Parts: sequence; C-alpha cells; structure tokens
Amino acid sequence: MTTGWRGHRGLVEDELRWWSSYRSSGPIKVFRIALTPDSGREAAAWNLLDTAERQRCRRFLYPAPRRQFLLCRAALRAVLCVALDCDNGELTFEFSRYGKPIPLVGGDRVPMHCNVSHSGSHGLVALSHRGRVGVDVEERRPRKNLEELVETVFGPQERALLARLEGQSWLDTFLAFWTGKEALAKAWGMGLRTDFSTFQVPPEMLRGERTGLFRCPRITNATWRLEDIGCDELAAAVAYEEDPGPGGEF
Amino acid sequence: MSSTEERIRALVDENLEIEGRPPGRPLDLDSSLRDSGVSSLDFVAFAKLVAQEFGVDVSMEECASINSVGELVEFLDAKAA
Repeated sequence: MTTGWRGHRGLVEDELRWWSSYRSSGPIKVFRIALTPDSGREAAAWNLLDTAERQRCRRFLYPAPRRQFLLCRAALRAVLCVALDCDNGELTFEFSRYGKPIPLVGGDRVPMHCNVSHSGSHGLVALSHRGRVGVDVEERRPRKNLEELVETVFGPQERALLARLEGQSWLDTFLAFWTGKEALAKAWGMGLRTDFSTFQVPPEMLRGERTGLFRCPRITNATWRLEDIGCDELAAAVAYEEDPGPGGEF
Repeated sequence: MSSTEERIRALVDENLEIEGRPPGRPLDLDSSLRDSGVSSLDFVAFAKLVAQEFGVDVSMEECASINSVGELVEFLDAKAA
C-alpha cells in the first residue's frame, strides 16, 4: 500500500481498506482484493454502492457471492475514483454486450479501462489508461473434472506440454494457461464466448517465461501483452493492449 | 421433476461447491450459477461433465450462454429432442 493511495478521497478509513496495490506494469495497475468475511469492511463497502448495485447485492442467494460482488465493486469504485480524480457519486458504469463494466464520470466515457475477477477469497481489479485490459484469477486448489477439459480449451502445444506433467506441476500449468487465456478473452471483450482451443498462450510462456506478446488474428490492429501474475495462493493473469490501435472491436 | 432435472441436481451436489449454501438445501433452478460463487473454470468444467454424462457436445459459447441450472436442463432437453 502506498501513501499515494492514502485516504482514497475519504471513501474508506485506512485500517478498513480491503484492497492493495498488487502489480504495476506499463499502462496498467492491478489491485488485490481481500474477500474474506469482515463486517466492518462490508458495511464500508455497502456505503460506496449505488442503488442499482445494492439491489443486485440483495438478489444474491448465498452470502459468499454477495460478499464477493460487494467488496469487488466497492474496491473498483474506490480505485477508479483515485485514478480518475472524481467523486464516487459521479461514477457510474455501463456494460458491454457481454457484461464488461465501462466506467463513466458524470455520464461520460473516460480514458480508462477496467476489469474484475474473483475466485473464493481472492479478487483482482485491473485498470489501464491506454487500452483494453482483462484479468483472471483462480484459487490454487485441486478441482474435479479438469482433465476432461484439456481437449476443449487448449491448443496442441499446450496439450503436449501438459501431457508431460503430473500432480501439482500439472495443476499449476493448467491454471496458468487457463487464467492467461481467460484474461486475453476478457480483454477482447468476449470472455467465455471465445473458443479457447483456437489460440494458445504466447510461445515465450509455453517455454516457461512469465510474460509474452500476443497478436489476435481477429483484432489485427493491436498487440497484447500477457503476464502471469500468480503467486503461491492464486493463479492469475492480466492481458492488456501494449500497442492499441484505433477501434479494434470484434 | 423431469429426469434431466433430477440428474443435474445430483451432479451439482456431487461436483459443484457452492459456498454458503446450507447443506441439503435444494438448488434454485432459476438462480444464476455464476452469481452463486461458481468460478468460470468450475462452471465450464461442470458443463463439460454434464455434457459427457448426457452424451452431447457443448461448446464454450454454449457454456457462456447458460446462466442457470434451469437453462442447462432446457439446453440438454433441446439437444435430446
């Protein structure tokens, strides 16, 4: 946590803050959000939401997903208010066709892209002031039925690499590939509507590096930087336009 | 309750961890699985498992368009029709 973020324009007391700076790279900042139960944080977060967001909170059937949405949306609001130098009351969102939030200040679009992901007790918010951005996080824990997914979501080199691994190495590599591909798909704006088997993580990352450059055949006017930002507790990746061109929508 | 619905409810109970759902509480057919705290990876893995159990193919795009257990039941019934 840096002093530059102190106070957050008075939105939340420092000792309650549930997000912290996690990565900063080129045009992007990534914040990590703690999603463990905490009544004080949840009350502070509630105060940041607008009427529609509170109504959405009330519609959740179970406490865990309600808490995930509440703490992530409030943290997104807080970091955007600082990045855009605006008041929380001026900040609203519109949503792309596939549900990606687009920040508005005073009803107008602003030069800032954002994306949010959460899994279990971990959340990430990514901001980019230069182009589209996507982020994905998955808890680093064993799951059922992942082996059956390999043919559906990975390309030939990814499958060949996974075939040589087992145990924790297999799971870590699976999660690194999955979060990388989902981060790219979210940056493009399509999310899970993208056929993951039709593209692979960049060659540098197939060789074990933590970052690489990607060119999407369907968005030819942009180059994408993919970074593995996972740690011991979570697998995560962020993808962003390194060299944004004009337009570039699907 | 349709046979498809019964089988899917059993598969949910066996394979999907829905944090905060009281044990034994029946799953609301219309509630969004994504809004129930199921991650994208768990959701796609579950959809793939269900498709295998029912002997049908499901694409990523179809997975993304299915929001609830009720919609999954409708999807599978339509594939079987």
